[in-house]
Amino acid sequence: VNKLWCQKLQFIFFFSSVADTIGGRSDSRALKESSSLQSRDIVHVVRTEYIYSRPPPWSQSLPTLHIITPTYSRPVQKAELTRLANTLLHVSNLHWIVVEDSQRRTTLVSHFLQEKGLNYTHLNILTPLTYKSRGDGRNPRVPRGTLQRNLALRWLRETFPLNYTQPGVVYFADDDNTYSLQLFEEMRSTKKVSVWPVAFVGGLRYESPKINALGKVYGWKTVFDPHRPFAIDMAGFAVNLGLILSKPQAYFKLRGVKGGYQESSLLKELVTLSELEPKASNCTEVLVWHTRTEKPVLVNEGKKGFTDSKVEI
Amino acid sequence: MAARMKLKLKTVFVLYFMVSLMGLIYALMQLGQHCDCAEHDLPKDRAISRLQEELYRLQGQIRQLEKAKQPEKKQPPKSSLSTIFVITPTYARLVQKAELTRLSQTFLHVPQLHWILVEDSPRKTPLVSNFLMKSGLTYTHLNVPTAKERKLQEGDPSWLKPRGVEQRNEGLRWLREDRKTEPGDDGQQGVVYFADDDNTYSLQLFEEMRSTRRVSVWPVGLVGGMKFESPVVEGGKVVRFHTGWRPSRPFPMDMAGFAVSLRLVLANPDACFDGEAPMGFLESSLLKGLVTVDELEPKADNCTKVLVWHTRTEKPKMKREEALQVQGLGSDPAVEV
Repeated sequence: VNKLWCQKLQFIFFFSSVADTIGGRSDSRALKESSSLQSRDIVHVVRTEYIYSRPPPWSQSLPTLHIITPTYSRPVQKAELTRLANTLLHVSNLHWIVVEDSQRRTTLVSHFLQEKGLNYTHLNILTPLTYKSRGDGRNPRVPRGTLQRNLALRWLRETFPLNYTQPGVVYFADDDNTYSLQLFEEMRSTKKVSVWPVAFVGGLRYESPKINALGKVYGWKTVFDPHRPFAIDMAGFAVNLGLILSKPQAYFKLRGVKGGYQESSLLKELVTLSELEPKASNCTEVLVWHTRTEKPVLVNEGKKGFTDSKVEI
Repeated sequence: MAARMKLKLKTVFVLYFMVSLMGLIYALMQLGQHCDCAEHDLPKDRAISRLQEELYRLQGQIRQLEKAKQPEKKQPPKSSLSTIFVITPTYARLVQKAELTRLSQTFLHVPQLHWILVEDSPRKTPLVSNFLMKSGLTYTHLNVPTAKERKLQEGDPSWLKPRGVEQRNEGLRWLREDRKTEPGDDGQQGVVYFADDDNTYSLQLFEEMRSTRRVSVWPVGLVGGMKFESPVVEGGKVVRFHTGWRPSRPFPMDMAGFAVSLRLVLANPDACFDGEAPMGFLESSLLKGLVTVDELEPKADNCTKVLVWHTRTEKPKMKREEALQVQGLGSDPAVEV
């Protein structure tokens, strides 16, 4: 009996020590896991079928998105186009219409578009200096990009016949804005004209259409002239291609357009307020930001240019 | 009288014998029977069974934790490409979500990229957490607040104090800590790049930096008051730097103009950015402990192509928003911008 008792005691001691160490190790490991898990939050994503830096394969069932981007030469141009292209490379069935404000198509943009691998059309039209200068009261300055956007609209009308059956959507994307990928999917279902909020315009965090209980647009949530027919930014709407083709007279008005009325000058030719289709969860989500890039201060270039002009930036 | 006494004694003996015999028989019969242990449950026995239970439970826990660790290791496919660890400091401001969005859209094209995003904040913000979850990227979310005296105040010009120092150092610290759990040569393969959230990166840049053995360098556009800054390469080696500002710095380069091999980062566990370094010397404060100019590896076609631009985003004008907020009519703060 004594031997049995001794054995029992030994057993107890053994177990308690083992349990302690295991418990301790486990505890400290659990602690380490939790504290390092906080910082060790490596989220691995397995993307086995992603083809990098090439647009997704063309789908027969998705409407084509025709993205019209006016652009002009300045130091940040290539950077802006690069990051915009990196965004567009994710979007299926995308056709990028790049319209340069220039006499001739520049090498920079031509090479850039060739390398990127996107489906594109490269156009150009020069805005005459008279349009660019600060006009007087009777002839206010033509907003930048107007001629270029109109050229793209004309190109669409000349390329696609009136009875074109393939569905398509037209969107005006400036090269310095920021677009979420979700935006492009939202606009794909546009039947006439769809609208959504835009961040950082009109001196607000965001401007947005006002939606009533029936899910229809009845006004505009803006501070700057909310009584405009369409108080919306260029980045805040998309138009069905069929609608563009069916109304060949609809263009952005060149002259006599008050500041902020450019979008209205086109949209009033195409659609009425009640026909607008709100997207982005009934215009409650911000999917596009009207970012603007600072003009780089090139003080050290001097008059003759310090850096090698052959190097393209 | 004596006979009766004798009889009594005999009877007693017989009785005693019978009783003990019966008791023995009873005991023998009980030997094979199932015992009700509750009656015999001593405290020490209870202790043993309790400890045994705990032992099994803890063993089970260990097995579970090991199982949980396994998939993390098995999931990322064994790729022959070395991982690029991109360390990005970020801070809350109006354009933050937009900047991170377009940055992530570039990163999504780069295979084997691990984004280490470090917030300048005492806590991880929901905006960044949710954003990262939806981004589709492999990421690590960290945060460390900048010390008050080092923080830029409203109205300070951006060059007054170095930004992102603590955050980049935190990224390095985490990386070194994480790599300890992945011993072996594979765990040491990789490149570390410091990518600010407002710059613009071409996809080719990441392919150029992948082959970094120590520190690789390339031109950066729109920085230093010039169209581009660049190392000058002669005979395949960097001989000097083309920069418009303080070319006497040990490494007159921008943060976006170099990448460090992971091996070098791990081999020099004390190398980090010095927040006290004079303006423009931040990059040098890290690099001087890691490499000499002679050892730099020029990329981007011997430093003749610009593959990264130091773009800066304007601060959006919020005059109308501010005016509205004074009236209590500001835009819905629940809508995330």
